[in-house]
Amino acid sequence: MSDRLLDGLTSRRAGIALLAVTLCLPPFYLDAFWLRIGLFSMAAAIGAVGLALLTGTAGQLSLGHAFFLAVGAYGYVWLAGEPGPGLPPGLAALLAVLLAGAAGGLFSPVAGRVRGIYLGIATLALVFLGHHVLLTADSVTGGFNGRSVPPLTLGGFTFGAGDPELTVLGVPFGAEERLWFLGLALFAFTWFTARGLLRGRPGRALAALRDSETAAGVMGVDVARHRSAAFVVSSLYAGLAGVLLALAFRRVVPDYFSLALSVDYLAMIVIGGLGSVAGATAGAVFVTALPLLMTRYADQLPLVTAPGSAEGFVGPTEAARYLYGAAIVLVLLYAPDGLHGIVRRARDRVRLRRPRTPGTDPVTSPPQPAAAARSKEHTP
Amino acid sequence: MNDRTPAAPPVLGVRDVTVRFAGLTALDGVSFTVVPGSVHALIGPNGAGKSTCFNVLSGLCRPAAGTVTLGGTELTRLAPHRIAALGVARTFQNIVTTQGTVADNLMLGRHALSRAGFAASALRLPRAVREQREHLDRVREIAGLTGLGQHLGSPVALLSYGDRKRVELARALCLEPRVLLLDEPVAGMNAAERARMAEVIGDLRAELGLSIVLVEHDMGLVMRLADDVTVLDFGRPIAHGTPDEVRQDPEVLRAYLGADVQAEDAA
Ligand SMILES: Nc1ncnc2c1ncn2[C@@H]1O[C@H](COP(=O)(O)OP(=O)(O)OP(=O)(O)O)[C@@H](O)[C@H]1O
Ligand SMILES: [Mg+2]
Repeated sequence: MSDRLLDGLTSRRAGIALLAVTLCLPPFYLDAFWLRIGLFSMAAAIGAVGLALLTGTAGQLSLGHAFFLAVGAYGYVWLAGEPGPGLPPGLAALLAVLLAGAAGGLFSPVAGRVRGIYLGIATLALVFLGHHVLLTADSVTGGFNGRSVPPLTLGGFTFGAGDPELTVLGVPFGAEERLWFLGLALFAFTWFTARGLLRGRPGRALAALRDSETAAGVMGVDVARHRSAAFVVSSLYAGLAGVLLALAFRRVVPDYFSLALSVDYLAMIVIGGLGSVAGATAGAVFVTALPLLMTRYADQLPLVTAPGSAEGFVGPTEAARYLYGAAIVLVLLYAPDGLHGIVRRARDRVRLRRPRTPGTDPVTSPPQPAAAARSKEHTP
Repeated sequence: MNDRTPAAPPVLGVRDVTVRFAGLTALDGVSFTVVPGSVHALIGPNGAGKSTCFNVLSGLCRPAAGTVTLGGTELTRLAPHRIAALGVARTFQNIVTTQGTVADNLMLGRHALSRAGFAASALRLPRAVREQREHLDRVREIAGLTGLGQHLGSPVALLSYGDRKRVELARALCLEPRVLLLDEPVAGMNAAERARMAEVIGDLRAELGLSIVLVEHDMGLVMRLADDVTVLDFGRPIAHGTPDEVRQDPEVLRAYLGADVQAEDAA
């Protein structure tokens, strides 16, 4: 191994360590408002990574992501709560994630049969069905008013206020501080596993499905199995995101898991750049944080109504939607590969100026979709 | 890792294969046998059904009648990925690569030969990492064999047409095939690229001992490489034989080679 490569590896390790430390700092310096933004962003990023695998990498359009998020969230609440089996919360969380995966598996025969926009519409049905069930199955879901979320307890440690009281470096650790670290751990897990998938054999097979099912089949990829697997994996991540969202909200209500949520997730992966973990994360932070920030600073923004005042034209949430709507149009027009593509091109440009490092591993680049719109199938 | 025996490939037998598309008979009772280790050319005018025949062989198209066998296994009812796992690899007439780098494409060719599943890859288990590294080594070898060594890290989309054709060939070779189906491997290439490709195909056959079924309009290439030739016309097989026999077959001359051969003879 060349010294250069070793240097590269150590500087990479150092970079990751620095990032990890930085991400651990906010609970010591920021108040609950910012921590909540971070927490929701992390949960959204986990869900967005799942959708990026399904829609970005495997090329299967899904408008049903909100449904799988709901299965995770409500699954946890029911399994850990009362009425419900009242399982230990850790176990309930795990089972809720598996339940979401199973829901994806149940849907996969449909996914195996319909493609493209038709699949999108089939998944749309899931959202309506799910919403209806959430409203009507009162005994499980609590109906319109939803249910409060039991806090997660792991080995006697509660990710909520108190029990045990905890003060770290003079900072009292309440629910937000504790959940921040939980979210961080789950997000790190998601990042690690999703990138492993994308850079490994399954990721290449899924990307091949997207580019040409014919070529994938001829190269030995079991097309039907991988189409289903993409749904299951994506739903597992959605379930995990759902559990974390439930814990962050402390109350789940049916109206949150509507079609608009599915569209938000699609917006995240389009803005971030289809099929990349980093892109999905960036998109998730953007789409999640924007409305919260605009609500908070509404009084300082032109044209935006502060909550509780009559001036201005649009409410902060609507204004945020206009903004990220505009962001989507701009991305589709000028950078179809999203934030991730912009960063990658900038990095390539920097790299071109410097001499190339020998021995870089060509396979470690995950499959890159070059454009949001592409021709799907080739006839052999 | 190279777990397929280097023994002679099995016989590929095509028996009375008929394919119909809404009123059009694309293949009409086609039979031929690919002798292990030989280069078998499939020729015929445009629309004769050559690519359709490849689609039957690779499981993309179900024939209305007839069978395809590889050794003792019938291929006709198998899904494409099962046929690939038996060691039948192909290239496409119009290039069908996936996005990503050349290495990504070639690693896709290793799919059937590797095991790592979703869980193992997601958790980056040591065996998945090791497997990926081993297959990458073999991919480098094959890239070298096909002259793609220096392109491994380049996105396929940025390569020249000839190079992309070679990527397809290399990807097929990554399956460690026992039977290789090449659909017009030199179409659209310039003279230098053609000569290069002909050399590569010749080497492959000599070094790897695989059976090759070759569809090609370049008669010079067919005559040089093929051991046997089957001629199709409107889906019907009209002649079989060695290149020299086929060249002299009056039916073939009339249906297909006629003008060319006479022009060549006159020259
Ligand atoms: N999927 C399909 N549906 C309908 N007709 C088809 C289909 N595929 C091929 N055909 C028809 O079958 C006939 C044989 O086509 P095929 O592609 O096998 O010819 P070919 O010998 O490969 O020709 P070329 O030399 O131009 O590649 C053609 O008339 C074609 O139009
Ligand atoms: Mg053809």
